[in-house]
Amino acid sequence: MVGSVCSFLTNHPKMPAAVELRGIHKTYDNFIAVDHLSLKIREGSVYGLLGPNGAGKTSTIRMMIGITMPDDGELWLFGEKFHREQLQRIGYLPEERGLYKRMKVLDHVVFLGRLHGLSAAESRKRGLDWCERLQIDGWVHKKVEELSKGMQQKVQFIATLLHDPDLLILDEPFSGLDPANVVMLKDIMIELKKAGKTILFSTHRMDQVERLCESICLIDHGRSVLEGDLKRIKARYGKNTIHMQYEGEAPFDHSELIESVNDYGNYVELRLRPGADAQQLLRMACERSRISRFELVEPSLEEIFIDTVKPHA
Amino acid sequence: MHNSWLVIQREYLERIRSKAFIIMTLLMPVFMGSTILIPAFLSDMKSGVTRHIVLVASNAEIAEAVQKELTTPPAGNAEQRKAAPRYRVEMDSNTSEAERDKLRRDISDGKIDGFLWLSDSNLANRKVVYSAKDVTDFSENIELRNAVHSAVVKRQLGQKGMSEADVESVLEPIDFDSVRIEKGREGASGVAVFLVSFTMVMLLYVNVLVYGFAVMRSIIEEKTSRIMEVLLSSVTAKQLLAGKIIGVGAVGLTQALIWLAIAGALSIPRLGAAHSMLSNVRIPTVGIIAFAVFFLLGYFLYSTMYAALGAMVNSDQEAQQVQWPAMLPIIFSIVLSTPVLQHPNSALAFWTSMVPFFAPILMFVRIMAETPPLWQIALCIVLMLVTTWGLLGLSSRIYRVGILMYGKRPTLPELRRWLRYSG
Repeated sequence: MVGSVCSFLTNHPKMPAAVELRGIHKTYDNFIAVDHLSLKIREGSVYGLLGPNGAGKTSTIRMMIGITMPDDGELWLFGEKFHREQLQRIGYLPEERGLYKRMKVLDHVVFLGRLHGLSAAESRKRGLDWCERLQIDGWVHKKVEELSKGMQQKVQFIATLLHDPDLLILDEPFSGLDPANVVMLKDIMIELKKAGKTILFSTHRMDQVERLCESICLIDHGRSVLEGDLKRIKARYGKNTIHMQYEGEAPFDHSELIESVNDYGNYVELRLRPGADAQQLLRMACERSRISRFELVEPSLEEIFIDTVKPHA
Repeated sequence: MHNSWLVIQREYLERIRSKAFIIMTLLMPVFMGSTILIPAFLSDMKSGVTRHIVLVASNAEIAEAVQKELTTPPAGNAEQRKAAPRYRVEMDSNTSEAERDKLRRDISDGKIDGFLWLSDSNLANRKVVYSAKDVTDFSENIELRNAVHSAVVKRQLGQKGMSEADVESVLEPIDFDSVRIEKGREGASGVAVFLVSFTMVMLLYVNVLVYGFAVMRSIIEEKTSRIMEVLLSSVTAKQLLAGKIIGVGAVGLTQALIWLAIAGALSIPRLGAAHSMLSNVRIPTVGIIAFAVFFLLGYFLYSTMYAALGAMVNSDQEAQQVQWPAMLPIIFSIVLSTPVLQHPNSALAFWTSMVPFFAPILMFVRIMAETPPLWQIALCIVLMLVTTWGLLGLSSRIYRVGILMYGKRPTLPELRRWLRYSG
């Protein structure tokens, strides 16, 4: 299976990581943005950097692309200690998108391509190809401000991808996108992954991470609270989550069987205490209300996220 | 360096190609030119119109003398002599009040443009009254006054026994001109020095402010559009700042040189009446060099301040509130420029022109007025370079932190902490 091959590769000492943070530390005034964070992103993988707002995701990414320098710790990219030439192999899509409004689309794409080390002619050629593929080729000589928001997003993706980066860093890539653009971006990401590119995804949208990422790092207050292969993390939690559909009264009060509850009115998600018996809970629920569905599942990433982050809050 | 070069290129080309730049570059000379040409043109037009006035005097001799003064063209240059006489003069020896009322009505009815009341009693009191519908044309008032004055003086001198030729030679006007001595040779005339210096100082002031402000606005634009983060993933803050300041400065220099070239081109061909005003106005080469040097020095000094201010704020409105630290010194130096131009070698001129924030205007004024000792110019330039270098260090630190900070404007203690951040 692919998973086992991948884990073999992860453990292989000679395989360089696309990104490796070793005890990265960053403070602003007295505020600790990133607290001795270590993580490793395997080349060719899709990696999710998760965390609530203000957890330190963007601060971490900014250090990976040389916008700020860590106070302490080491940053390795592609098996070498960080140096600025490596930035030409990285494509960065910031959370807050931005373009020069009054610049013409093609000029803008060429400018950013050249900043990433391409020649003017090459940037132009690639830019036109991408614009054609994303169906904005009729707009290349228009000013950015004349484009719709969706089209501006496409220009921004092109600017990120133009220099064919080996590592893509996407900060909340799907936020503010219409469904068509979400599908388009996802398709491009899968294509790039198949071509062996590494993709780092920073988000708090768990559903997308669950579908796309192989490994994750969950950070909170600048610290890593959960890191590793997504399948293994989920397996570690076991099938301790119950999805239950009911009618009438709530099927239970407090019970020592239950660790946490997320009640939606006629649908409830709850997690069992370690060692608790699901059958006992089902019997209890049947006595009080009509149960139309009762399912024992692995926890969703969202539940793991909320569960892991909550105690610190 | 490659990255800075790309930033310079972008800033320069995007601005040069913009409509605002092209319109401004073309409109400014049109505006400046028309402030010189239109008054000249208007007075040309008016000189074609003949004013119909009545000379009321019981003394026919005096009336004739004044008429002669008004209808004989002055002994000016060829062009003025060619022009048709401006006045059609009618004599009237009736100095009664009834006649005066009638003339007043004639003015109202538009039959005549005005009348000069030269009654004997008025002449004895040396007080002459000119009545007309509009009396706000200063040049006309002066002409009439001169005509009456010269007629009366000539007549009185004649009565004291002087011949007409003697009277003419005594009253021959003296042409007064001041000439600037430069390295033992005669240079431009005083009026020319003043006009050229004044125009160039204004140009310098406007350009330093406009382009310093442009740097600030462009930083705010990059911050608010959030393109900053994309840029910073391949360019360092320092490269970006350097590229921006140099690129925008190059645009300002280009514009100023286009203007100076247009001014130079216009002062060569004859341009009707304007030519006589511009003929002795020459922009000295040293002035153009000094202009370029002090524009660049001043621009770099002020734009580094503007860059720091731009990085601290989040909108153009906020920028308006914080830009006074950069505006104040340059406005102050404009205020000082007049006393410095009048006494370019005074202690005041020396000390103020050595202050780097005033130097771009004041040292330039001193060079235009009277070339100061070379060591003073050199010292002033060194001081400016050192100050700019120091400011650049401070500004780039504020810039590096500020461009990634959104939201509240920093307080002074916060600003001090920004300066200490390592990166």
